[in-house]
Amino acid sequence: MSENKYSVIGKPQIKVDGTELVTGGARFAGDLRFPGMLHGYAARAGVPAGLLNKVDSSRAEAAEGVVCVITAENIGGPNLMGIMPPFDQPVLGADEIRYAGESIAFVVAETKREAKKAARLIEADIKPVKPVLTVEDALAEGARKIHPGGNVTFTRQLIKGDAAKGFDEADIVLEDDFETSFQEHAYIEPEAVCVVPSGDNRLTVYASCQSPYHLRGQIAANIGLPMSKLKVVQAYTGGSFGGKDDVASEIGILAAAAALKTGKPVMVSHDREESIIGSNFRHAIKIHYKTGLKKDGTITAREVKILLDGGAYASESPFVVMKALIHAAGPYSIANVFVESTAVYTNKTYAGAFRGFGVPQVTFASESQLQEAADKLGLDALAIRKKNALRPGDSTATSQVLDESVGIVQTIDAVVKRAAEVPVIDEDERFLYGTGYASLIQGISNGAEGIDVVGASVQMSQDGSVLVGTGLTELGQGSRTVFAQIAAEVLGVPLERVTARLVDTDSVHDSGATVASRATTTGGMAVFKAATEVKNSLTQMAALMFKTEAENIVLKEGFAVLSFDDSARIPIADVATAAYWTGFPIMNMAFSRAPDADYDHDTHQGKIYIAYNFGTHMMKIRIEKSTGKVDVLNHIASHDVGKVINPLGLTGQVEGASLIGYGLAHMEKIEYENGIIRNPNFADYAVPTIMDRIPTEVIAVEEFNSTGPFGAKGVGEPPVAGAAAAFVNAVSDAAGIRFRKIPVTRQDIMLALRSRDSEEE
Amino acid sequence: MEINFICNGRERQAVIGGDTRALDLLREDLNLTGTKEGCGKGECGACTILLDGEPVSSCLLPAAKLDGRKILTIEGLNPESGKLHPIQQAFLDTGAVQCGFCTPGMILSTKALLDKNPAPSTAEVEIALSGNICRCTGYGKIVQAVLLASERLQVKS
Amino acid sequence: MSRMEYYKPESIGEAVSLKSSWSVYIAGGTDLGVLMSDFAVQPEALIDLTLIDDLHGISDTAEGVAIGAATRIAEIALSETLPSCLVQGAEAIGSPQIRNMATIGGNICNASPCGDTLSPLVVLDAVFVLQGIGGARRVSACDFFTGPKKTCMKPEEILTAVIIPSASLDRQSGFRMIGKRNGQAISQVNAAVSAVIDGGIIKDIRIAAGSVAPVPLRLKNTEAAVTGEVLDASLLARLKAAAEAEISPITDVRAAEDYRRKVTGSLLESIFLELQREGL
Repeated sequence: MSENKYSVIGKPQIKVDGTELVTGGARFAGDLRFPGMLHGYAARAGVPAGLLNKVDSSRAEAAEGVVCVITAENIGGPNLMGIMPPFDQPVLGADEIRYAGESIAFVVAETKREAKKAARLIEADIKPVKPVLTVEDALAEGARKIHPGGNVTFTRQLIKGDAAKGFDEADIVLEDDFETSFQEHAYIEPEAVCVVPSGDNRLTVYASCQSPYHLRGQIAANIGLPMSKLKVVQAYTGGSFGGKDDVASEIGILAAAAALKTGKPVMVSHDREESIIGSNFRHAIKIHYKTGLKKDGTITAREVKILLDGGAYASESPFVVMKALIHAAGPYSIANVFVESTAVYTNKTYAGAFRGFGVPQVTFASESQLQEAADKLGLDALAIRKKNALRPGDSTATSQVLDESVGIVQTIDAVVKRAAEVPVIDEDERFLYGTGYASLIQGISNGAEGIDVVGASVQMSQDGSVLVGTGLTELGQGSRTVFAQIAAEVLGVPLERVTARLVDTDSVHDSGATVASRATTTGGMAVFKAATEVKNSLTQMAALMFKTEAENIVLKEGFAVLSFDDSARIPIADVATAAYWTGFPIMNMAFSRAPDADYDHDTHQGKIYIAYNFGTHMMKIRIEKSTGKVDVLNHIASHDVGKVINPLGLTGQVEGASLIGYGLAHMEKIEYENGIIRNPNFADYAVPTIMDRIPTEVIAVEEFNSTGPFGAKGVGEPPVAGAAAAFVNAVSDAAGIRFRKIPVTRQDIMLALRSRDSEEE
Repeated sequence: MEINFICNGRERQAVIGGDTRALDLLREDLNLTGTKEGCGKGECGACTILLDGEPVSSCLLPAAKLDGRKILTIEGLNPESGKLHPIQQAFLDTGAVQCGFCTPGMILSTKALLDKNPAPSTAEVEIALSGNICRCTGYGKIVQAVLLASERLQVKS
Repeated sequence: MSRMEYYKPESIGEAVSLKSSWSVYIAGGTDLGVLMSDFAVQPEALIDLTLIDDLHGISDTAEGVAIGAATRIAEIALSETLPSCLVQGAEAIGSPQIRNMATIGGNICNASPCGDTLSPLVVLDAVFVLQGIGGARRVSACDFFTGPKKTCMKPEEILTAVIIPSASLDRQSGFRMIGKRNGQAISQVNAAVSAVIDGGIIKDIRIAAGSVAPVPLRLKNTEAAVTGEVLDASLLARLKAAAEAEISPITDVRAAEDYRRKVTGSLLESIFLELQREGL
């Protein structure tokens, strides 16, 4: 790791919005109170597929406390939402019901309880039709069309070299099917929004959300107001992980429609059950994976067919299709790759964005098969990965040549080194012990999904304090802190003198969604640019005050200092005041645009992401034979992050993402029966508790990335893939049984062991 | 019915219905929104408050049961604005706070633990916080925060 | 403002007299709260039983130990005098928050097949004291549960006390459960054992399992197969096989039938190994 020459960057920082979170003072969307505020609650279809003839809201309207009921008939707008045109999702079910959790009426009442009670009085005349519940059924000949265009949502191919030729060159070929399940975000704060007529002929939308600009656009389009009349303010948001985009739009639109109708503030705050059945999941994916290798472990070809169950509406499926496509081959230099990735509609809750975005699922398949290959060839797990790993100058599966910031080998080496230090434990015969490895690649920024721009503002005041804002949301990942650090570093002021404000759509340029691990990278660059402009004003002013050239001025420790005489310094507040009175601007709005993706859309060959995060994980586990319980004994997660901005934030992100990956691989599954979710609650959808945590140890590798501030690149998502894949390899190693379907639960493990043991008898 | 109780050291009165939850009383009537609703069924711990020093799920607790009793919410932990309780400071120092939604409940469960057991083992920390779900942090730093708070509180006394 | 009444009777008689078809008893409220949040139960009044002194306290009596039905699960989990299987069952319930609110009476009357105090109470031959309009009656734990979430109680009856007979006190006992995860886990299966093991021989044995049948189930065939036998590895294997054959679990959203069947044997084995270690 490089020696740290910075005063704020690279040092552990307490998050700048921490105080209000530990005191309970921070206002989340559901905490807001406005005079006359009403509450909305949706009635839902309850059948997975059917023709909706009529919604009768008369009994609900007559119920105690109810002010009005909105249905598709009187919503007063196009009743349409989605992530990517053509939008295919009604806000309220109109003619056809496509999943059981679909909202069909919105009851507005004086209290949430009254709205919820009255929602049970909504009567819907739905003629059920046989739901299409599997991807196979959806693709079958003569299958009922869930959407007019058919049941394929989106499909793409990636073609590099000649896969058939590559398999001919191989000494061994492995070919298997892998499967993943729907995972629920399970953020502890369910979705919430409050729309307030703000008395200036505008509406203010306070939202728990991840994409405030997207939310603004969707609401405006549905209620017939110009976007300039809407202001979205991101409230403190209790986790999102990709889940508060579509649903924020849905409830935002409904609350806004109700606010317009009633002239009053309208709040929606979801129950946990609504959050589970009504909002998007991580795609359940079936993967047919084929790898050809030489005896020495060199991969000669990979062919992958990916089938994504996207549920009832498109949501982010097109983007997840592409991301899965691009990452399926892994962090390896392979001459011949063919991938086909297809999302399919089914009559289930729609699938969309969830931290990882297709990469965890394909990484699990990729790393499982590579491990099987290693085992077959008698090669060391990390050696085979290192042999094939991308290096600077190599080309990825999309033929993107990476000249810099390719740290996969360094992460493998870090794991090898640290793993050697893990003490050998005495084994107990009640347990089976195993180790699993996984290496991964995850593109940073929007890549093929479109433009990646962020707006930022940096404002210094005459007292030398600094206000930073961007259009990217703080979701707990620590982006506000990172932005404050960057501004503090550039302007040479102590971090305590920098305030990072909440996001609102009035203040900076449309910055898209806070996704794709792009906040530190593209967002950080925007802050860097804005801060640099303000720095230029200050150095020019200080130069005048010192009667010297601007290049002789350094901003540090809250002063403007002469580079050749450290004792010659002016407090930055004085410089800022002088700058104002002299006419140098001390506020700047910057626009950062990541280099565009540039690739062939038929073969997905070309430049896709501005940078890539690389990682290698190792997990050591033991299985209790009698019950299938798994204990994770060690977990090492090494990631190339370019440059560590805040070590405390970084380790928190890797630890948190890893546990979500562990949940995906081991514990969590949305259980469907005939299109109805059987476990829409925290009792039966089991997320890890503190007693289930894993002992993640984070090792950061820094391979400088020129597209990120101070060389940094994001790490929010990649550990999900690493932990999930390493876990399955560890369990398969311990059990001596290859598991190809996740989650692989204690039940699955114990039954597989028993079955294998009784076969052997 | 009318109830009288002590909330964060202050005497309070309220008129409630039989199905008023303690959570609603706090968030709606008393404007103490630091206590959160994460699931409404006692399965996540975001609504944790201390009832006579014991952690309970206020989403399942009828407000009627508060009559004659003492409760502590997150707002009561540092009545002097500007001064954080050592547990709050420890959570910040170790990076145990990300989105912060589970944090009030975690901190109160921690307080209840350390009041009874000033030097808990890691296993005891895990059991004490097993009713508080966090989706952001992976819990590692939360355990560190509790152990750090326990050290600091013992030094103070 | 809702019109739901909330009564706080101070005696059992007062509580019974308040009960009608539109009112519901509430103890800790952890099960009822969930039902009310979904409007599955919408009473016009709640009758809080926890302020009745007679329903509290754990005391030694002539017949054994009497546990007031309103005793909180947390208190039972901390007990150093109650039988191990009951203490371990209480420890396994929910989370600290739930244990601080829930009562043993509530866990019994809710009669969920996976209730973690239930299989212990069955192997302890517990007796439940019920009070209704006509006075008090006693029902043994084996006869009390009639189906999933069903008991033999009359609508106005209150469970007032749980009696652990003296004969059950001076025995070894143990409890195990397994769920999908380590913390806040709902039992996929649980098992309880109460035994007299002397000189390595099982002199007397009671075994029960939860969530493997419509009610907490005494495994009488399994008991018969091991009574009088030497507790060794080969007996444990036969015990597991007998238990796995005697139970009739189902597949549901929590677990598969064959996992329940096989893991019951594992839980029993774990209990017996612990009893064996303790006995040494």
